[in-house]
Formats: sequence, structure tokens, C-alpha cells
Amino acid sequence: MHIILLEPDRMLADIYRQTLLADGHTVTMCASAQSAIFAADEQCPDAVIVELQLIGHSGIEFLYEFRSYNDWRAVPVIIHSQVPPAEFNGSSKLLRQELGVKDYLYKPRTSLASLLRSVTLLNTATL
Amino acid sequence: MVGDSLAPVLSQQLLLSVAEQLKIPLLQIARQAEHGRITNTADLERIQSTADAALRLIDNYALGVRLNLEQDLLQLEPVSVSSVLYDSGQELTALARNYGVDLELHIGGRYSTVMANRHGLQSALVSLGASLIEALPALEVPQLKLQLAAHRCRYGIVAGLYSETEQLTAEALRNGRKLVGASRQPLGAVSHTAGAGVFVADAILKAMNLELKVSRHNRLYGLGTVLQTNHQLQLI
Repeated sequence: MHIILLEPDRMLADIYRQTLLADGHTVTMCASAQSAIFAADEQCPDAVIVELQLIGHSGIEFLYEFRSYNDWRAVPVIIHSQVPPAEFNGSSKLLRQELGVKDYLYKPRTSLASLLRSVTLLNTATL
Repeated sequence: MVGDSLAPVLSQQLLLSVAEQLKIPLLQIARQAEHGRITNTADLERIQSTADAALRLIDNYALGVRLNLEQDLLQLEPVSVSSVLYDSGQELTALARNYGVDLELHIGGRYSTVMANRHGLQSALVSLGASLIEALPALEVPQLKLQLAAHRCRYGIVAGLYSETEQLTAEALRNGRKLVGASRQPLGAVSHTAGAGVFVADAILKAMNLELKVSRHNRLYGLGTVLQTNHQLQLI
């Protein structure tokens, strides 16, 4: 799978990238929402992993823009964030149905193995 | 006793901000260790410098609280700005390397000593620097150069950290101070984190009757503090 990894922390991005590469995926790292949109435009991704806390625009703003393009409506998205999912309790339906979020991983409680598991599940679902 | 103006900064909001901030280096350590275990290639130097960064943040927070609670600890002494900047740079080198940030030291001239608490001043600059090092590569136009610098101004000597794009406006800094603990990103225009390093620096500087301000250095933008020169020593 080709994955766009929208992760503002450079050190974490490096670790996640190496893990995904070792699992056989290709990865484009982006630190900002705008660069992720440009990256998606250049090489249509098979999946996107998004942190919600970004500089300038939030990950949710990115998802709204990303979903506004027909080509990317079906691209599966995993939220992998410092923001606890409990903060989205009232809007989980919106995340899943409107923004196409397949999985919500809370970073402090998500091991690399769990992240890979979530990506693998996307892969099986899209086959 | 904590003064009224400092109470909100040193309250639970700042502690919450530091706790949120600490999640990042701890997460980095946990994932680096997991990655190292899986691949048998643990980068121990990186893990060590990440742990050091976490320790520095909590240590600087504790210093800020202590300085504000016990003014007796705040012994002022003649301090060389150049040497404080140099030592701050040394402390930040490993973190800057981890983030791919090129940290430069720019001291334009020879300055008289200033009256300050050396440990406090260095901790404030390091705290501020660490926060910027983490944030600058994540800007829309990533900034990979950060300058620790000093220059003279009408009111004294300004010591601070600068980069090529504007980090914060004075208004954004003011608003950020009001949002500490209430927002996940009180400095959302410049940092994806809780920005605790900036507020810890703010608290330490306040304890020394100094102020963190938006500042310019040559053509660069940044944050700094104005230090009063020690006129008594100039006479000697």
C-alpha cells in the first residue's frame, strides 16, 4: 500500500515510517495539512494516517478538504492522534460516515504492532 | 507566596500543559524502544537524548515553580549573555540533531554583563529553544534553522531564539498565555503541541522580573527577553 503519513513530529514520523516500510508499504511523510494535500495530488494514496494536532490547520480540516475531492472519497483513513477518542464521543458517527475514518488510534496507547494491525486490516478490507 | 500575576501561570493549567507535552518524548522513547526490540537496532543515543529532553522539561518546570515560590532562591549575579547562549546551545544540540534543525549561535558584538540568575536564564532559553526545535520542522514551510542570538537594544541586551519565518505575533503570544491548559494547542499557529516549553520559559523569566517578548534579530523573527546591563560593573 502507498500511505500518506500526516505526522507533525519529525521523530515520531521517522519511527512510524520505518515501521511501515519494514512491513512492505511505501510511505510519504507530511508534516502539514497542505503538504499532505499536495502529496495526495501527486501520488494517489491507498491509505492515509492522520494526526489531528497540526500547525495552522487541524487534521479534521484536512479530512474535510481531502474528502471534498472525488478521487479521494474512498481512500481509507486512520486517525492516529494525541487527542483521546473520548473527546469525539458525540461525533464518532461524523468521523466514520462523513469523513470515512476506519480506525481511531490514541497514540499514547498504540504500539507499533497495533498500528500495523490497523493498516493490515485496511489492506484486507480493500482487497 | 506566588504573586497574583503569576498564580494563573503556575497553576494547574501549566502543569496540565507540561503533562501533555511530556507525552511526546515519552511516546518517542516507547516507540523507539519497541522499534529497536523488533529490528534489533536500538538507537540508544537517540533514546538517551530524548529522555534528556523530557527530564529537562520537567526540571525547568520545577525550577519555574520553585523560583516563584521562594524568591530567596533567586540570587542575581553578573552574567555573561554570550556564555549563557553558548551553554544553552550546547544543551540543545542533541535535540536539534534529532529534529534535523541546524542550531546556530549568533552573538553580534561584546556585551557587558547583565544582572540575572544564570541558571534561571539558561533554563528559560533552553526551554524555549526545545519548544521551537520541535515545532519549526512541522510548519507549512518547514524551518530547519534556528539561531540563538543576542543584540543590543535601547533598553538593554536582547537574548532569544530566531528563525526565518514569523513564529508568533505579540497578540498570538498574549492569547496563548490565556489558553494554557484550556486548549490543546494554545500556540496553534506555531506549535502542534501544548507549547509548554514556551510557558515554562515565561514563568521562569517572570520570576526574575523579566518578560518573554516577540522580537526581531537582523531579518529573523523570534522570541526573546530584554536583559538590563550591569552598569556597576562597567565602572570597574
